[in-house]
Amino acid sequence: MRAMPAPLDTDVAIETPEHIVFHHRVAGPARRLLAYALDLLLCYGALFVLLLVIVLASAGAAGVTGAFDSALGAGIGLWLVMLFATQWVYFALLEAWRGATPGKRALGLRVVTLEGRPIGFRAAALRNILRAADSLPITVAGGAMASLFGGLASVTAGASMMLTTRFQRLGDLVAGTMVIVDRDVVRGGPLGLWPPAGPEEQATLPDVVTLDADERHAIELFLRRRPRLGRAREHELAAMIAPKLAARFGVRHADPSRLLALLYDRAANAGRSEAPPSSRGAESWR
Amino acid sequence: MIRASAVTELAFAARRQKDWEELGTLARKIASLGLRRIAPSEIARVPVLYRDVCADLARAQAARYSAPLVEYLQGLTATGHAVLYGAHAARTSRRDAGTRSLRAALFAFPRAVRRHKWAAFIALALFVLPFIVGLIGALRDPDFAFRIVPESTLRPLTEAYRAGFDEGRAVGQDAMMAGFYVNNNVGIALRCFALGITGGIGSAFYLVENGLAIGATLGYVASHGAGDNIVTFIVGHGSLELGAIILAGGAGLAMGWSIIAPGERTRLASLQSVARDVVTIVFGAAAMLLMAAAIEGFWSGSSVPAVVKRGVGITMFALVLAYVLFVGRGKEARKWT
Repeated sequence: MRAMPAPLDTDVAIETPEHIVFHHRVAGPARRLLAYALDLLLCYGALFVLLLVIVLASAGAAGVTGAFDSALGAGIGLWLVMLFATQWVYFALLEAWRGATPGKRALGLRVVTLEGRPIGFRAAALRNILRAADSLPITVAGGAMASLFGGLASVTAGASMMLTTRFQRLGDLVAGTMVIVDRDVVRGGPLGLWPPAGPEEQATLPDVVTLDADERHAIELFLRRRPRLGRAREHELAAMIAPKLAARFGVRHADPSRLLALLYDRAANAGRSEAPPSSRGAESWR
Repeated sequence: MIRASAVTELAFAARRQKDWEELGTLARKIASLGLRRIAPSEIARVPVLYRDVCADLARAQAARYSAPLVEYLQGLTATGHAVLYGAHAARTSRRDAGTRSLRAALFAFPRAVRRHKWAAFIALALFVLPFIVGLIGALRDPDFAFRIVPESTLRPLTEAYRAGFDEGRAVGQDAMMAGFYVNNNVGIALRCFALGITGGIGSAFYLVENGLAIGATLGYVASHGAGDNIVTFIVGHGSLELGAIILAGGAGLAMGWSIIAPGERTRLASLQSVARDVVTIVFGAAAMLLMAAAIEGFWSGSSVPAVVKRGVGITMFALVLAYVLFVGRGKEARKWT
């Protein structure tokens, strides 16, 4: 049930009944606050529009029947019920139904149980009723503004998130839920080598390059991030690992970053008949 | 050091791609449409595809395939897992399910209250004792009420009650007040419950504050000669409304106590173990408050004769009390909860 000890990261390991372990990325406070602000904007925007409609409609009704007061009264009654719904029902209902409010959805967040399953209505209601406790001490200070926007300055929620491994606020703790970042299920293309290895590079490379999984993973992450790095930073990062690998395989190259690319390409593609030529990659790089 | 298996990553991906895409598409479809609107033949595909993807993920990890592929398969596994294991139990018929769960809820609420009866009793005391203090204080010295409720609120209130209900309220006014009571009272009850997580202090605070304020208001209005009218007004919805606040506060106290005295469990586990019951109680209290808001808006302020209002009020009180004390005790009810 509990996540197994892992390196310091915001990942949570979930073991399925098939004994397969996959990882969810837990969402941090900043992203969640943004999602919450977005939801508030949406709700109160809608409430504002509703109020305008009510006032205009009852002004219209007054022209016909002369009953401005009663039409407006009924409208305000409805509006107050909607105000209640945005504070207490909106979050619970949408999270129980789709696992996320529109604000969360926009930021790629989803609420799940600690076992990684979608949450039910009880859990959704509980974690959102406890929002009132999460926005302590502002809840006690009272006032309409505090009860409407208190969640934005939720000191208690922040403290609770800092103290728990899964960034859980009080509501999450009681309901046994966490908020994760939904990953896009999109497959990245394979990495290619560009330009292809030149003749002198071919000559210096060993025939077989064997990297262990961690090395391969690290180099791959680096190569995928490379287009977004500055030239100096790229060198700096590559130089941290390139000399060790160069010594191990007995190769030399002036550019550490290029060396990593060559070694990776050889390790991933060399000597396999099914593999396409290494230069034909979906993502090409310098 | 493990070498990649004979079939390379790309060939593996090319061979399995179709199934992966099928699962991805199916999962998205289920997520957006809901299980009910998916053809049975398609639903039947999900477990098969999901198990295969699990196997693929295991293989990709063991064979040290590239990180994006493993990431992709992890995401796919997570999506499939959510669809497969998040599914709610199939119901035979929808209409039947509605009445069944309604009946279960009707039994579950008083049973949950009685399971935490000590919390409910303490909540009752925390409300009633300050109420009596406020009431007697304001009856003996009306100025006492101003220390609790602002004068600017009490004076117009007293005038309103003195006027009586002979004219009733305008139709729109009824609806507006009902809306106000929903927003205000249910909000108070939910907050009163939620703050119970402070070890019960927050709930106790709300209970005492409400008891004191309501007692003082009643005493002040009564000492200005409108006592009969305010009692007539309150009696209709009072048992539901105040009962609900007390029960919600009691749920908060139960939640607080589970942290203070967790017994053999960790505090967190203890908290989560009462979560089910307290949610049931809070839902029940919220339902009571919605009923109370309708009564308070449309009935309590109406021009119905005072005798009728009081008769109905006393009946309501007896019904609420009987419901909380006795409903769901039979063998039949145990089957539902």
